[in-house]
Amino acid sequence: MEKILEVKDLHIHFNAFAGHVKAIRGVNFHLNKGETLAIVGESGSGKSVTTKAVTRILPENAVIDNGEIIYKGQDLLKMSEKEFTNIRGSEISLIFQDPLSALDPVMKIGKQIMETLILKQKMPKKDAEKRALELMKAVGIPNAEKRFHEYPFQFSGGMRQRIVIAIALACNPELLICDEPTTALDVTIQSQILELIKKIQKENNLSVIFITHDLGVVANMADRVYVMYAGKIVEEGTVEDIFYDPRHPYTWSLLASMPNLDTRGSDKLMVIPGTPPNMLYPPKGDAFAARNRYAMKIDFEREPPMFKVSDTHYAATWLLHPDAPKVEMPEHLKQRIKQQLEEAGRYNG
Amino acid sequence: MLKYILKRVVAMAITLFIIISLSFFAIRLIPGDIAGENAAPEIKAAMEARYHLDKPLGEQYAIFIKNFLSFDFGESMTLYPRRPVFTIIKDKIPLTLMLNVFSLCLTVPVGLICGIAAALKKNTIIDHTISAMVVFNVSVPAFVFASLLQYVFAYRLGWFPFLLNLDATFSFSKFVSMILPILALSFGGIATITRYMRAELFEALNSEYMLLSKAKGLSKVQSTLRHALRNSFIPLCNVIIPMFMGLLGGSMVVENIFGIPGIGSLTAASIQTSDYYLTIAVLFFYSIIGLTSMLLVDLSYGIVDPRIRIGGGKVRE
Repeated sequence: MEKILEVKDLHIHFNAFAGHVKAIRGVNFHLNKGETLAIVGESGSGKSVTTKAVTRILPENAVIDNGEIIYKGQDLLKMSEKEFTNIRGSEISLIFQDPLSALDPVMKIGKQIMETLILKQKMPKKDAEKRALELMKAVGIPNAEKRFHEYPFQFSGGMRQRIVIAIALACNPELLICDEPTTALDVTIQSQILELIKKIQKENNLSVIFITHDLGVVANMADRVYVMYAGKIVEEGTVEDIFYDPRHPYTWSLLASMPNLDTRGSDKLMVIPGTPPNMLYPPKGDAFAARNRYAMKIDFEREPPMFKVSDTHYAATWLLHPDAPKVEMPEHLKQRIKQQLEEAGRYNG
Repeated sequence: MLKYILKRVVAMAITLFIIISLSFFAIRLIPGDIAGENAAPEIKAAMEARYHLDKPLGEQYAIFIKNFLSFDFGESMTLYPRRPVFTIIKDKIPLTLMLNVFSLCLTVPVGLICGIAAALKKNTIIDHTISAMVVFNVSVPAFVFASLLQYVFAYRLGWFPFLLNLDATFSFSKFVSMILPILALSFGGIATITRYMRAELFEALNSEYMLLSKAKGLSKVQSTLRHALRNSFIPLCNVIIPMFMGLLGGSMVVENIFGIPGIGSLTAASIQTSDYYLTIAVLFFYSIIGLTSMLLVDLSYGIVDPRIRIGGGKVRE
C-alpha cells in the first residue's frame, strides 16, 4: 500500500517557564492512502501536538528537536513556510476540536468558506460562491443559500462544525486531520458529524487521521489505531488487534475503563491509578511503569522497544520479551472482549 | 432601534438638566464679583439688576431655567459683556476644530500603527519600546508635556514660535506655529489608541479562528489583515469615536499654554471671571458632546458588530 504520510522519530519539546516540556519523545507512524488512522490517548499524551507538527501550526514556544515528516516523498519540516502554505489547507486540511470559537465571529459564513478558494486557488468569485454553496449542501446545511449570508453566531455548535468541515474540504485535500472533532458537541450531534466525515472520506477517497480519546469513536471510524502515552506510541495495530487482542497494559487499562452498554449502575469501572508523568522530567524506563500493575523491575530502568506481535500489531512493553513471565490481560477485560466477539459473531453470522 | 434611541435621548435630556442645575448653583460658590472690586455701587447695582442677581436664588434659578428652555442661553457678563453666549461659543469652535482635526489626523494613524507593531512583535524590543512610551505618555499630564515642548522647541531651540499665529489667512508660518499645540494635543490620544490596539490585536492573534485561518492555508499577513485586525477594530470604536466628538471640545490646558483663543481657553477664562451664564453654557456644550459620543459609541457597536446588529438579544441556537 502507498504511504501518503510517514512520521519518523519525531521529538518535540516546549520551552516553558519551568524548563523544557518534552511533549513528543520519538513518535513513528505512517498513514496509507485512503485509510483512516486513529491516534488515541489521554489528555496531554501528545496527540494534538503531533498533528500540529504535521500541519506546522505549533505554538511559537515549541521546538522540533529531531525527526522527519515525509508527505509524498517530501520532508515537510525542511520546507520553507512559503512552500508549505501551498500544502496546508490545499492538500492537508485540519478540523479542530472547538467549532464554537474556530470561525471568525464577524465574517459571513459564505465568505469564510470562499476565502481559501479565492486566495489560494485564484478562483473567480462567482465560481467560488457556487463551490461554497455546494460544500455547504454536501456537509448537510439546510437552506444553504440563506445561511451563506449569515454569521457564525447564528449557527449551532453542530452546524458550525459542519462549516469547519466544509472549509477543510474546500480545496479538495488528500489528507484530512480531525483533532477531536466531536469533543465539544453533544452525543447525537457527534454521531451525525462522524457519519458525515465517514461519508466524505468514502466519496473523496481521503486519508484521515483521527485524534480522539473516545474509544467508541475509534472502533466506529478507524482502520488502524495508534495508542499514545506520554509522548510515545505504546501500541499500534488494526482495530481488531487493539480491541480484541490488546497487549500493552496501558491499552488494557484504557479498554477496561470504558463503560459499555452492559455496564450496570452497580458495576465499578476500572480506573487507571495515579496521573500521567510530569513531562518536564520524563521518567526513566517505561513512562507508564508507575501506574502499571504488571510493571517489572526493568520497566523502571529501560525503555521497552516495539515488540512485534504480528505483521500489523506492535506494542512497547517488556511483557512481550521472550524472558518475561506470562502475564494475561485482566480477567474482566477478557470477559468483555469474549462477550463482544460473541455479539459481533451474532450480528455477522 | 428607534425606540432605543428615543429612550436614550430622553435620558440625555434629564442628565443635561441635572448638569446645568448643578452648575448653576456650583458656579455661585466660586468667590468673585461680576462688577469687579473697585466698581461704583451704582454700576454694580445696575449689573445685578440686568442679570437678575438682586433677586433671591430660587427666583434666579426659575428665570434661568425658563430662558434656557426657550433656547435663550443668556449673555456673557464680564468676558464679552452683553454678547449672547451662543454666538461666543459658535465663534470659538472653528479654531479649536481645526487644531483638533490636525491632531486627530496624527493621533489615529500613529496610534494604530504603534499598537499593531507592538502586538505583532510582542515581547521584542519593538514592543518594549512602544509600551514604555505609552506608559510615559499616559502618566505625564498634558500641561507638563505642553510646557516641556514649549521650553525645548520654542525657548531652547527656537524652532517654533511660542504662541499660535492668529492670522486670519492660512499661511505656512501659521502652520508652523500650530505644530507644537498639535503635538501636545496628540500624545495622550496616541498612547490610548496604542494601548487598546495592542491588547485587542494580541488577543485576536491568539484566537482559535486565527489558527483555523492558518490551517486553511492563509499566510500570516493574509490572516492578520483579514481576520485579526477586523476583529480587533470593533472594540476600538469605543475609543476612537469619543475622540472624534472631542474634536469640538479642545483642551483647556493646551489652549491656554499656547495662547489659542478656542473653546478650551474660553472655559478657563469664563470660570476665572465669574461669567456665570457663559460658564454654564460652556459646560452644557461639553456635556452634550460627552453624552452624544457615548450614545454614538453604543449605536456604533450595533452597526459594526454583526452579533449585536443582527442578533440583538434573540440569538438562535
